[in-house]
Amino acid sequence: MLLMISAINPTVKAIAVLIPGILLGLTFDVFTPLVYLIFILTVTLLLSDIPFKRWIKFFVPFLLFIASFSWARLLYTSETFQNGSVLFSFWTFEVTTGGLLVAISLALRSLCFIALSLLFIMTTDSTKFMLSLMQQLRLSPKITYGVLAGYRFLPTFKHELEVLRQAHRVRGVGRAKGIRGRIRQFKRYSIPLLANSIRKAERVANAMESKGFTGEHDRTHYHQMTVTKRDWRFLGMMVGALFLAFAASYYFGYLNIFGYQVN
Amino acid sequence: MNKMQLSPVISVHNYSFSYETLDEPLLNQLNFTLYENETTLLIGPSGSGKSSLSLCLNGLYPDAVEGTASGVIRFRGQPVHDFEKGQINQQIGIVFQDPDSQFCMITVEDELAFTLENIQTPREEMEARIDEILMTIGMYDYKHEAIHTLSGGQKQKIALASVLLLEPDVLILDEPTANLDPMSQLEFIQLIEQLQSAMQLTILLIEHQADDWLYLIDRVLVLSRQGELMEDGEVESIFQTKQQQLIDHGIFIPKQYLNSPPISKPINHSNNTEPCFTMESTSFSRKNKPILKNINLTLKKGEMTAIVGENGAGKSTLLQLMARLLQPEAGTMTFLNKPLTKWKEQSLRQHMGFVFQNPEHQFITDTTYEEIAFSMTLNGYDAETIDTRTRELLSHFHLIHEQSQNPFALSGGQKRRLSVATMLDETPDLLLFDEPTFGQDAQTTHELMEIMTEIQQQGTTIVFVTHDMDLVDQFCDSVYVLNEQSIQYHGHPAKLWEHDELLNQARLRKPFRLEMREKVGVAHDLGH
Repeated sequence: MLLMISAINPTVKAIAVLIPGILLGLTFDVFTPLVYLIFILTVTLLLSDIPFKRWIKFFVPFLLFIASFSWARLLYTSETFQNGSVLFSFWTFEVTTGGLLVAISLALRSLCFIALSLLFIMTTDSTKFMLSLMQQLRLSPKITYGVLAGYRFLPTFKHELEVLRQAHRVRGVGRAKGIRGRIRQFKRYSIPLLANSIRKAERVANAMESKGFTGEHDRTHYHQMTVTKRDWRFLGMMVGALFLAFAASYYFGYLNIFGYQVN
Repeated sequence: MNKMQLSPVISVHNYSFSYETLDEPLLNQLNFTLYENETTLLIGPSGSGKSSLSLCLNGLYPDAVEGTASGVIRFRGQPVHDFEKGQINQQIGIVFQDPDSQFCMITVEDELAFTLENIQTPREEMEARIDEILMTIGMYDYKHEAIHTLSGGQKQKIALASVLLLEPDVLILDEPTANLDPMSQLEFIQLIEQLQSAMQLTILLIEHQADDWLYLIDRVLVLSRQGELMEDGEVESIFQTKQQQLIDHGIFIPKQYLNSPPISKPINHSNNTEPCFTMESTSFSRKNKPILKNINLTLKKGEMTAIVGENGAGKSTLLQLMARLLQPEAGTMTFLNKPLTKWKEQSLRQHMGFVFQNPEHQFITDTTYEEIAFSMTLNGYDAETIDTRTRELLSHFHLIHEQSQNPFALSGGQKRRLSVATMLDETPDLLLFDEPTFGQDAQTTHELMEIMTEIQQQGTTIVFVTHDMDLVDQFCDSVYVLNEQSIQYHGHPAKLWEHDELLNQARLRKPFRLEMREKVGVAHDLGH
């Protein structure tokens, strides 16, 4: 049976992404994150309906960012990892094999986080995620529907900022120059924006309560979010694959947790 | 209607409400009753507590705002505060004014489901209920649409539907059509009429301009500025015999009761043809979607011009292009015989003013005084001139007592006046207004139109965007109709009213004086 990730219960999916994310943070070797990264990419390609182009569009900028970040890390490796022979020197920097491995490991782990996050974000409907948190993890309906109502504000907020900018331009206030000018501009924009947001939030709250919303859990659910065997299988697969990677890494003698070589 | 047959649904006894203490209550010792199946109109000047009252009636206030209240409101004999949380809301539903802030879900379907979930409707029944209510309001095709893609009128219908799912006994409509274009307003009113006859609702309507609702109204309640119940009676008697008191309180009188009906602006036969502003073959699009195509427009010096069209027709965009707040894709604009692009920013802002729909957006400083002095300081006037001119403007706009208040703390009408005053440090050549009378009460609207006429007489050319065809008819020398990205009519308003088909297409209405004339003989044909 083909398991589609978009159909997985969002809460389970979040946990299935969080656990490997945290555990990978503890491994300092190159092999484990590399194996797991290949696994995530395979899952993304085979089991999700994310259009490849869209995925690349988000992934590549991160890739570049991580590459430059790791380069900096390579040059500024802390003393602890400055072991091994000197590979090459560059200006006043000396790059050692130990430093290189730590930098690559860091890069691979970061890529794993990015790939996991994209896998989650691009296959999960934000509304369903909130509803699932409420139904599976008993998140308070007050918070759930508060956040959902907040989603709706974002585009109007952007529009209002645009109008504000225009209105102030008409008054003869140009673009702010310097830090002090920017602080003053921030103050000028934030008061009307805040005033309006509070007013709108109050209106939405009134409207919601007027429709019988109490914030209690005693409600029925139009979108019943359920956890089925399939969801557990997915969780098992994501975590299981990580432990397989750990095992293989241990078997080949690479595994390094928190800087301690385990073997 | 005969009150003997009617049973009271809501009764209010000696009810007072305040956001703080009861020393100066917002609502003061109210006594009234709403009867079964009656439609009651509640009117009063801005700030008289009409909206707060509606939230008191359904039990949200005073708890939700930690306010204080005294007296008692009963629903079918039982005090409202005795109901369990969420229970009374099912009996009394409210549709609010702002179409953009009464939803919490993304799609129409989910929003309607939200109501059903609140009242614990079994899941199996939900879909059928949602489909049924969408059929009733004629919005079934929009079931899966995202709410933010709908028009204002459609949003209000969805707001109405989500309230009707509660199957309430009482429906409170808090200025439900104030943000809609004229045709959408009529459609909403007709929908309410159909629903009331089908569902037997008791309705409380809060409305500034109730002209179009009158034929549905059984009774009128009038709140004074002090939050007291001024009048409670039949439509005719209140609007005819108490007319002067209402006018004194800044309340709109339905035009059919006005003793001196408004007259249209006569055609100005002066030979002044000198243009103040011209726009030639100008186009604008947003995200590859054309908003305005090939617009040509000429504003003659000293004239007052209106730009009209349905919501989303691009009226505000047109104004922003004229003020160089947006850059056109193509076309040329000339302001005072000089290409708009050649104007220096500072000098352009001195010669051309822009008053935004929401006055708060324009406030920059911390006091009313500084707000007016701001532009003059920016333009480098000496302190004495600034002070004299600022005081002049403050007293002219009746803001002298508020001079050291924060602009945000002013009342709605004062904010409006201040936003205009800030543009008048020296007489501008062109003044643009984006829906200046939007959401204002009768007194503020009247004041503003007087101010605009006065500025016009000093030689300023004025352009304003509006939905109010009566203002167009009474004040404008010229009108542009915007529809389907282009200008479909330009000329004197009096001639526009002759183009029935065009008015229909652009979703416009005729001014009251003409509608009334046409209604004679078909008075009972409304809503079909």
